Parts: sequence; structure tokens; C-alpha cells
Amino acid sequence: MRRLSWLLVLLLAACASGPKFNTVESTFAASPAGKARIFFYRATSLGGAIQPEIVLNGKVVGKAQPQGVFFVDVDPGNMEVVTGSEVEKKLTFQVAPGDRRYVRAAVGFGVIVWRVYPELVDEAEAKKEIADLAYTGGGPQKQ
Amino acid sequence: MGWPTIAHLVNHPGLEMKAFLAPLILLLAAGCASEVVRNPAVLSPAGGGAARPQLEIAQDTDVQASAGYNRVLPAGSRWQLVGTIPEGGVYRRANGVFTVEGAHVHEAYLVVAGDRLVGFYLPVEKAYSPATPVSLKVR
Repeated sequence: MRRLSWLLVLLLAACASGPKFNTVESTFAASPAGKARIFFYRATSLGGAIQPEIVLNGKVVGKAQPQGVFFVDVDPGNMEVVTGSEVEKKLTFQVAPGDRRYVRAAVGFGVIVWRVYPELVDEAEAKKEIADLAYTGGGPQKQ
Repeated sequence: MGWPTIAHLVNHPGLEMKAFLAPLILLLAAGCASEVVRNPAVLSPAGGGAARPQLEIAQDTDVQASAGYNRVLPAGSRWQLVGTIPEGGVYRRANGVFTVEGAHVHEAYLVVAGDRLVGFYLPVEKAYSPATPVSLKVR
């Protein structure tokens, strides 16, 4: 029982902290004209000790924190997402002005440790998944 | 002397490590998917040609991409003509997202010739990736 308690503590400690996304979503300003908004999220606590950086077009934009979500506004064009993980799996996609795209940091079991890799997700599915996640970013707020 | 048995191999002092490493190497190899096969392709903007401007898939359809990962084109998915390449009309998913996967994951559009899916167009890589051709039931 004591072991289970410790395990639970470890799992919880690994999860992202912040307000629930659906409680703060309405406070976000729209993405600037001509830009696209990309949401990054990790919906599961599996492999919580592995929290790789999320790299978008060669720039670190955040971390794949369990049960966390954040977003970035980008210029339209080609996107390449990489998560620093045991096996590097790139995701490539395009965005146009005004687009909202959703990238899930999925978790699978690798050869030695959990691996985290990016997936492009339908908006409807993503919206359901991110509603209760912790918002971990510092996105633009409404004035 | 004869042929060595499994027990010989596993217990042989010099081979213990190999016996341990072999399954690990197999596991590692199994975990390494191959790249999606692709060839450079130039997308010509959609004109008033013979290709249908929009497709709606009538029933779930399994498709096999070059790297061996299957994908399903779901019934009800709608696809908008965005251009053509020599292999056929290029259709972008209008009500969702679609990717193909090998060693990496790529957003992909359908390439359709007549009523058959023949491959995928990868917009970021500007490339054509052949698929096992499959007939599409469309609305």
C-alpha cells in the first residue's frame, strides 16, 4: 500500500500544473492577422518522467508535459515538429493563415524507455482532449 | 563434436553477450520503420480539367502506404482538389487531417487517377509517394 502511495505521488508530481485549458481559453486573444496557431498537448500521464522538449522548425517552443497544453502563433508555411526522445520521429505539415492545428505528443513504449512522438490530430478530437488539460503556456491574453 | 546446441551457445562464455544482444538488436531493428518512399513532384494548381473538384469517401477504405503502415480513409471524409501531378488529381482533406507514416509522419494529400487511389502527395516535401492502388467508392 505504501509503495502504491509513492507511485501515485510520483505520477502526480510528473503532471503539468496550471489552470484547466477550458477555463482560460476565452481569455486568449485571437492569433494575429496572417498567422496560424498550433496547439501542442500531451493527454496522458504515461511515461510522465520523460518530458522531452518540443522543437518546431529547429526552435524549442515548450515541453511535452503530461496532461499539459500550450500554443504558439506562427507564420504560414512548412512545419517540422520533433520531440527529443529515444527515437526521433518527425512530423511535417503545412499551415495557412488563420489555421488552427493540433499536435499531440503521443506516448509509446520504446525498446528501453517510453518514447514521445508528435501526431497531427483532427480539431474535433483535439478539442475534446485538451479541454481538461493544464494550460502551461503564456499565450497572448485579451487586452 | 557435432553442431552446437542452443544450450552450448547460451552457456559459452564468449557468446553470452551475443545471446543477450541478438534479441535486443532484433527489437531495435523492428522499432526502426523505413522512410516513406517519395519522388519529387511538381503540383500544378487545380484548373478546370477532368478531375472532380471534391470527393467524399462512401465507405471506410484501407490504404497501404509505401512504408507499410496502413491508413484508413474514413467514410464521410471529404477531400478538395488542390491541383494535379502527372500521376493524378491531388486532394486535400477538407474536414480533418491526414498523414502517412514511416520513419517519420507526413501530412499527405490523396493522389487519385480515375476512381483509384494511386498514391499520396506530401506538401511539405513536395513529393509523390506511391501506394498500393485501391478503388475508391465516392459520393
